[in-house]
Amino acid sequence: MIEFNCTVQEGVIPDSIRPELVSGLTSISVSVMGASADDVDVQFTEIPQGFGFRGGELSTTSLVRGQVPAGCEQELRVEFMQQICDMWMQVTGCSVDELVVSARDRE
Amino acid sequence: MPFYRCIVPKDSVPFEKRQEVATAFTDIHCGSTGAPRSFVHVVFDEIPEGEDSGYSTPYYVDGGNRAGRPEDVKQKLLSDLTGAFIEITGVPSDQVAGRIRESPASWSMEGGMVLPEPGEEGDEWYEHAAN
Repeated sequence: MIEFNCTVQEGVIPDSIRPELVSGLTSISVSVMGASADDVDVQFTEIPQGFGFRGGELSTTSLVRGQVPAGCEQELRVEFMQQICDMWMQVTGCSVDELVVSARDRE
Repeated sequence: MPFYRCIVPKDSVPFEKRQEVATAFTDIHCGSTGAPRSFVHVVFDEIPEGEDSGYSTPYYVDGGNRAGRPEDVKQKLLSDLTGAFIEITGVPSDQVAGRIRESPASWSMEGGMVLPEPGEEGDEWYEHAAN
């Protein structure tokens, strides 16, 4: 099972592109981690405007937090995060500085 | 990272106070660790009336940082953060608690770069983070 929680700021990631993001995250999980598409779960958490800050200023940053199988090799983890960065920027049009990706071991 | 999530009852902390807390948390974190300001994320999560947040106190600072700092640094950081939250919001101290969870820096990518371990940040990373 690979689980993602995508924390996004209100008004930054429209509903219309979220299916494409889910599809991208699923595809990367299958190709890089060898997961089954049925075992990928993606949730979005939207931070209302005025409730998310970065460096003390209102934030436009998305945080994509994935949980991967424990003991994942670092090289694979980096490839996984890099592909997620590339896909997310392509789909959303955000800059590399508006995205944080993590791939933590599942407890 | 760091990511500080402030759990608060609904409509209890107005925007001006949220912004003040976010700025204070940024000042404290950067003052303690030397991290660039753009590195610090703060979000507020409102809990509707009557709903159980699952935390020990109505107001809670739930932090996530890179692992590898000494215990005394972590304790002072948490104490300073909750102290600032109490001072800015005026919430009684017995209603505020917090924790800082840690994970390896190598598990996160920010600005397209894998995060360095605490104390191993090179000039390139600081220059990138300043942009």
